Amino acid sequence: MKKYWKSLEERKQEPGKARAGQEHEVLAKQEIIDFLEKGGDQIRPGRRDFLKFCGFGVATAAVVSSCKNPVNKAIPYLVKPEDVNPGESEYYATSFFDGRDLGNLVVKVRDGRPVKIEGNDKCPVMQGGTTARLQASLYSLYDQATRLKAARINGKDCSMDDLDRDITARLEQAAAQGKKTALLTATIISPGILAAIESLKTRHPGLYHITYDALSFSGIRLAHKVAFGQDGIPSCHFDKAKVIVGVNCDFLGNWLSPVEYSRQYATARRMSGNKPEMALHYQVESCLSLTGSNADVRIPLKPSEEGGFLKALYNYLLTEYGNPADHSHRINPAEIGEALLRHRGQSLVVSGSNSPEIQILVAGINHLLGNYGSTLTFGDQLLTGRGDDAAVGKLLRDIESGDTTGLILYQVNPVYDHFEGERFLTALKKLNFSLSSSPYSNETTAGCSHLCPDDHYLEAWGDHHPKENLYSLAQPLIPRLFNTRSFLESLLKWSGDTSDAQAFIRSHWEKHCYPRQERFQSFESFWVNSLQEGVFTLPAAEPTFSLSEETMARAGSNIPADGKGYEVALYESIGLGDGRQTNNPWLLELPDPVSKVCWDNYAALSPATAKALNVTQGDLLKIGDKLVLPVLLQPGQAASTVGIALGFGRTEAGKAGSGVGKNAWPLVSLTGDCFSYSLDNVMLAKEAGTHVFAQTQMHHSMEGRPIIRETTLDAYSKDPAAGNEMHEKIEKHHVTLYPEQEFPVHHWGMAIDFNACTGCSSCVVGCQAENNIPVIGKEEVGKKRLMHWIRVDRYYSGDEENPEVLFQPLMCQHCDHAPCENVCPVAATTHSNEGLNQMAYNRCIGTKYCINNCPYKVRRFNWFRYNDNPEFAFGTENALGKMLLNPDVTVRERGVVEKCSLCVQRIQEGKLKAKKEGRLLKDGEITPACAQACPSKAIVFGDLNDPESEVSKLFRNPRNYYLLEELHTLPSVGYLTKVSHRAGNTEDQHSH
Amino acid sequence: MNHLYRRRKGFPALTALLFMLLLQVFSQANVQAEKKTFVARNQTPVHKTDADLQPDLLIGERLFYGLASFEAGKLNCEGCHSTISSEAMNWNPSAYDLAVWIQTKKDENLRKAFEAPSSEKMETSHKNLQINEEEAKKLRTYLNWVHSKGLAAHKPFPIRLIIFFTFGLLMALALIDLIKTRFLKYRIIHVLVLITGLAVHVQMAVVEGQELSRTQHYAPDQPIKFSHLVHAGENKIDCQYCHSGAMHGKSAGLPSVALCMNCHNIVRNGRHSGKFEINKILAAYQEKRPVEWVRIHNLPEHAYFNHAQHVAVGKVACQTCHGPVESMEIMRQHADLSMGWCINCHRQTNIAFDQNAYYHKNKKLLELVKSGKVKQPTAETTGGLDCMRCHY
Repeated sequence: MKKYWKSLEERKQEPGKARAGQEHEVLAKQEIIDFLEKGGDQIRPGRRDFLKFCGFGVATAAVVSSCKNPVNKAIPYLVKPEDVNPGESEYYATSFFDGRDLGNLVVKVRDGRPVKIEGNDKCPVMQGGTTARLQASLYSLYDQATRLKAARINGKDCSMDDLDRDITARLEQAAAQGKKTALLTATIISPGILAAIESLKTRHPGLYHITYDALSFSGIRLAHKVAFGQDGIPSCHFDKAKVIVGVNCDFLGNWLSPVEYSRQYATARRMSGNKPEMALHYQVESCLSLTGSNADVRIPLKPSEEGGFLKALYNYLLTEYGNPADHSHRINPAEIGEALLRHRGQSLVVSGSNSPEIQILVAGINHLLGNYGSTLTFGDQLLTGRGDDAAVGKLLRDIESGDTTGLILYQVNPVYDHFEGERFLTALKKLNFSLSSSPYSNETTAGCSHLCPDDHYLEAWGDHHPKENLYSLAQPLIPRLFNTRSFLESLLKWSGDTSDAQAFIRSHWEKHCYPRQERFQSFESFWVNSLQEGVFTLPAAEPTFSLSEETMARAGSNIPADGKGYEVALYESIGLGDGRQTNNPWLLELPDPVSKVCWDNYAALSPATAKALNVTQGDLLKIGDKLVLPVLLQPGQAASTVGIALGFGRTEAGKAGSGVGKNAWPLVSLTGDCFSYSLDNVMLAKEAGTHVFAQTQMHHSMEGRPIIRETTLDAYSKDPAAGNEMHEKIEKHHVTLYPEQEFPVHHWGMAIDFNACTGCSSCVVGCQAENNIPVIGKEEVGKKRLMHWIRVDRYYSGDEENPEVLFQPLMCQHCDHAPCENVCPVAATTHSNEGLNQMAYNRCIGTKYCINNCPYKVRRFNWFRYNDNPEFAFGTENALGKMLLNPDVTVRERGVVEKCSLCVQRIQEGKLKAKKEGRLLKDGEITPACAQACPSKAIVFGDLNDPESEVSKLFRNPRNYYLLEELHTLPSVGYLTKVSHRAGNTEDQHSH
Repeated sequence: MNHLYRRRKGFPALTALLFMLLLQVFSQANVQAEKKTFVARNQTPVHKTDADLQPDLLIGERLFYGLASFEAGKLNCEGCHSTISSEAMNWNPSAYDLAVWIQTKKDENLRKAFEAPSSEKMETSHKNLQINEEEAKKLRTYLNWVHSKGLAAHKPFPIRLIIFFTFGLLMALALIDLIKTRFLKYRIIHVLVLITGLAVHVQMAVVEGQELSRTQHYAPDQPIKFSHLVHAGENKIDCQYCHSGAMHGKSAGLPSVALCMNCHNIVRNGRHSGKFEINKILAAYQEKRPVEWVRIHNLPEHAYFNHAQHVAVGKVACQTCHGPVESMEIMRQHADLSMGWCINCHRQTNIAFDQNAYYHKNKKLLELVKSGKVKQPTAETTGGLDCMRCHY
């Protein structure tokens, strides 16, 4: 049997010895034993105890008899807005761009406050998907502690008018003195803001605009400029590819437009129709990324070997045209090259490198394969990632020389995320004025003389132009909570324009977007429609271009040789990305999909490298001369490399995010005109001390059981039930003495397709936001008290240095024969006649028998009333933070068990809608939060009583099986066997 | 008491029986006679200390209560303008209402109100009444004081408390006599007293305990004397004209002030209250200040209730839960809103199977009905007793 293992510790655990992180359990047990042994005799009630109880009784009676029901007020509207009904939710389309992440969203607004972020189905690019970070972006709206609440000059609160007067005066003064003012922003994709910047420049000629993206994609842009004369980032179409090669490119997690790519990837990998066909995915990478975890073939390589490998691959492809073979590189590109050549025009090679030379090679490979125009298109090119990497360095020199005396910052935090952050902070002090428009306090605002807080994106009007052929609108969904003003309005004000943001954007759209369409006859109807749908799309026109051999040759000769020594690979984590949302406890507590660590970053080392360095998990490792990080043994990490997540180690992030992990941004360097996110020849040394991780993976083990079933495409094409043979056997053995339960109206079920699920964990945060799931902090997670109702289990198999990875989203299975229901002494958990395993919190007395009896370990115990507890101050303890809570879901008290309800509030809402309209419930009308958040639509929910529903069809699919079905728990959640090109998967699935 | 039991073996059983019987009789006899009032305000007669500070206050109070004579003669303001919140609807503005009104007016207005009454209703009740400037000042002082103190709550006679303590006393006496004084010869009397007393106490504890968070018959004072009898009863306005949310969503909703103004733009003079109460709506509308009603029906927070499910889908009449609202002058909570009450209705109420395609087009349900397994689908058939219908 194929051996699955989930952590190295588990493999090496000595019998009888507590695992790391298990000590507290042992301690707690010992305390109870001590108490029973020593205190046993003394617990005999005496006369004093009797009197105490009597006194307590009298006191209780007195308190109870004097308690009065509170007088509640009901205050109706003075004039009720027509489309707002108290207690009912409205959904509005909006869009999001914070300089890094892109999203087209639908926001659920309840009684005037946004309570949930969802994907916008109407957007042809995102198609309703979101990432964990987009789901979590709601949190910052109600972040009482971190949001800046008013304009400030030199630390003193002031009115916006005062600030405007001061800034205008200073801008004019600078112009009079012949000095310059810089506007430093992240990439701006808002046509409105760009237009406003232009008019500000006209008003104040000394002003110049520079763009800085901490996590830069300038390499790709420059490469395409050099190679084809197209300064842009082409759109990828993974769904059209039959062979996908990713080189250090986490396109499912963080690269460019992950929501879009996840959906495309799922389309390419899904088993649909009768034709057993799926894309073949090679991943060549240093750190075990989310994308690498999904690959069919994964090859570890050091960051410095990337150029050499791609050059070898390019040369291999050229052998087709008669060039001599090149066997110079360690990794033989023959297999990948062959696969690519078989699928010309239907393949895609992507690289996450920011080196223009490497990206030219990648462009050359794709061009050679004829992928431009099919899997790579320019007509709908991405307009994000416009940063100029060298700009901040130049700005620093200008400030230091005294040329630039003023600075306006928007969506950037260079003090934190630029490698010369400290120099930047010193430079800020030299300026006549430095104005930050960040809505939150951060490292850079701490050094700025002026603060002009921007609105949260849910409070402001805005527009975005994320792709050449896609425009989107953002509308305010709540009145301003504090005295803030949108950056667009600030720009307009300073440039002397009196119009507000809405009017400005409207007129801009009237001039630039409305004439480009023919569907609407009046601008008003076009505007209303665009607002309702959130997006406006245009047909894409593909430009033609060619590539010169000479460029390729020059690029090839510029590729540096493979590096020596230990190498560091920097990457963005799935939760925090580049660190913009580091104060978001939902994201901090989101376990990394692969390492399952939350609340930390670390130095990821492969077990062999760790052995060579004589370190083990939790030891401290000094990287280079400054950074000290704890070691995490990460199977799959390339040998002699260290993987470090960016986005951590913020000092001024706020209560939750400050001081979590270490800041790795100083390790970034500028190579040529582009940032480089890796370095070689790094000194690694063991430091004294140890570190304890909050790792959620130790809760969950496959224990040798066929929890995830998988097969190869070959086996699947011979027998669709391949890898799932035992399902049929077990189905035959279902015998029960009890009468079968009837489900007279609906029988809810959920199917999860392992071929579509990428493990991105967007569902986890979606569920957290929908179901008022509390954040509990690192210490509590360490005690295994994580509250997530849905988790994504990750299993490894095979080679320790390069394992195969499997993901399994796991929530309550809503068993029809639920083991938890039988053991509850107070009938707090029962089965509904729609097949839901119900949890009545007010009945629960917290015996936790159900937790013990649940074979899936999906029930959670609320230990400390986390949601309203100053000890766990993660937002919802204050009045503003409570606005985050979904009013349709009970906020659980301490001492009760809670778990997934299959979003019963949404089921009830959907049913009621159908009943009110007097019609049957449509399939797909009800979507639980996890399924809604899923960018690859791997989760399907529906009614099993309806044989035509999508979920019923999936349940009849020969790939479908139930988790631990041999226990006869009859779950309502089905999983579809993973089909892949992975070799030797079937090695022994049959022996299960 | 142990020796008692030892003497007669059949005694425990008998005691238990008697105990149960008493409990039953007592709970039957003890039908909810009292209405619960939840008025937070409290008022006592003018304190001497207050009166010392403001000499006019005491005279003002006496004038108001008709204990002292006005120049024009003796009259009792309190007779109409009550200082106690009453159980039945008193259409005249209460002393507190007057106090609120006078806060924004000058003394002159008080006298003018008598000389030139604003409505017919006021004219008839204040016929031939006159006060002079000095008296107006004194009355104002008193009304200011009422404003600061609020209305006195109507206190029902505490019959249950008296019963409780009487039995407590009797039991104590019985115990003392049983152990120490031994005045009564027949111990059966002690036993009977003790058993009855205990039964009464337990019954009271159970009833009071159950009702701790329940508010049946709750009928608080509202900021405006709104009568459902006048609106829904006499004028036959549809419930959902004002509570339009009931058809659409979770909350039935209270009408916005603008909605009140749809009618009261024209209807400015009430039959019972003259202009006084209606003017409050006008004032709210003009001053752009919503009316703060006191909420009567309060469900526990862990219970989810949706009006649309019951009104739009289930076609349940409003009166089923809210009682004969159209005959209520003062709105009160009709049902106890307990879980047992909900469940009972779900067991007995048939769903609109034939009328709603959601039900009769559902293949599974239709099959069950056709096969005769389910004769008449009730709310229970479709899951009306499931926990997660109301608790999630």
